Amino acid sequence: MPDPLLSLADIRAGYGAGIVLEDVTFDLPESGSLAVLGRNGVGKSTLILTIMGMTHIGRGRIVWRGEDITAYPPHRRARAGIGWVAQEREIFSNLTVEENLTVASRQGRWDLPSVYDLFPRLAERRRHLGNQLSGGEQQMLAIARALMTNPALLLLDEPLEGLAPIVVEELAAAVRRMTGEAAGAFILVEQHADIALSLTQSVIVLERGRIVHSGPSAGLLADHAAMDRLIGLRLAEA
Amino acid sequence: MSALLGMLFDGVAYGMLLFLMSVGLSVTLGMMNFVNLAHCSFAMLGGYLAVTLMNGWGWPFFATLPVAFVAAAVASIVLERLFFRRFYNAGDLPQCLLTIGIVFVSIAGAAYIYGTDQQPVHLPDYLNGSIAFHGMEFAVYRLFLIATAALVTLVLAVGVEKTRFGAQVRAAVNNQRMARGLGIDVDTLFAVTFALGGGLAGLGGALAINMLGLDPSFALTYVIYVLIVVSIGGLGSIAGTFAAAMLLGIADVAGKYYIPALGSVLIYLVMLTMIMWRPTGLFGRR
Repeated sequence: MPDPLLSLADIRAGYGAGIVLEDVTFDLPESGSLAVLGRNGVGKSTLILTIMGMTHIGRGRIVWRGEDITAYPPHRRARAGIGWVAQEREIFSNLTVEENLTVASRQGRWDLPSVYDLFPRLAERRRHLGNQLSGGEQQMLAIARALMTNPALLLLDEPLEGLAPIVVEELAAAVRRMTGEAAGAFILVEQHADIALSLTQSVIVLERGRIVHSGPSAGLLADHAAMDRLIGLRLAEA
Repeated sequence: MSALLGMLFDGVAYGMLLFLMSVGLSVTLGMMNFVNLAHCSFAMLGGYLAVTLMNGWGWPFFATLPVAFVAAAVASIVLERLFFRRFYNAGDLPQCLLTIGIVFVSIAGAAYIYGTDQQPVHLPDYLNGSIAFHGMEFAVYRLFLIATAALVTLVLAVGVEKTRFGAQVRAAVNNQRMARGLGIDVDTLFAVTFALGGGLAGLGGALAINMLGLDPSFALTYVIYVLIVVSIGGLGSIAGTFAAAMLLGIADVAGKYYIPALGSVLIYLVMLTMIMWRPTGLFGRR
């Protein structure tokens, strides 16, 4: 069996002395996709930040393609092939859209023409500064900027949060297209549990910093009782 | 009319010097929030090095300028690697204490080696004297100063606005954590920027001797002006730093021309007004 793309083993992590994540263990295969669900404040974003190397890791190991990266600084993880779409989008507001895309780009399948093809709206706004974009456009730019680094794994931290329903649909379609075409792995943190589960192969659910459920996404999507118990929100019957 | 033009001319020349000595501090302060009060010690190093090479070794003035740049750049990168990097997360007060300590060490060191007298500088003949133009006299050296600083500014502006390195510097100033998360090695970027900023200060110091003089108090006297420029211009903004340096240079010269009784108090009034009007600087964003 080949090495997983990313493997977290017994991770304890947090900020300073505060511990947020405990006993977090999972593997993600090459081209795999994982939804991370849970109520607010259970450590979903901390998990993303821990994979990026921006938290204090007290215990456990993070292994990337067989290499222990637990002690790597963030920029080395990014260069190893981990792309990050931050929850707050964190567009460089003093750079143009195009500069945001090229400032850290690396060679690969994704380049300016292909991300503009995915998000035509960014092409129209290429000369605008980052702070002149709407929320939805900023989110497109955050995703496109991460794609431009041509990651083997994309971390998406609540990419649909705070967006109008029509923009949510547009973005979800883009994510679907992007992941379908590029066959890259991704981890998706999302409040829209139904969308997240329909986009991914497997799912973990966090509660107070621990994994309380892990399994195939389709299984959880079909099990309304488990969804209600784990995430506490009943899905609209479709 | 001609008095006004002459005053503007001197103010612009002075402003150009202030810009060269400030721009590095503005960018590094914006990027790492590191308060480097020793920035003008690098300028002073450039000045003393130029004087030594000219007066002691008989170097021509022009040859000393690149040496002043390189030496100040090397000195700043050495200090950055040895001391400053350990203080990036230490807060403003430890940073101020560390760097003001370096200022005093540099002042004592300069006084020990060179004494406390003003250093004489011997310019080549073609940089002395002045050019008459429509009944006005323009000092050749100040023309040269303005031209040199304008050239440096142009190179800097193109480098920062048009290159990937420049975009990475701007990105790191804007959001350091995100820059790291995208694979930009902010520490190395910062060290290079720090060296360039120190080098520009060193060049400014060498160019300043003829206009501002050079003695060991230089490091302390002019860091005040540089801090005013940075606070008016806004952190990390090259255009803002340039505008602020011009404003301050002209205001200072004008004050001494027209209201000598106010003397050098005027620029502090300018600073107070500007900061109350635009707390984040002329083109500031935060």
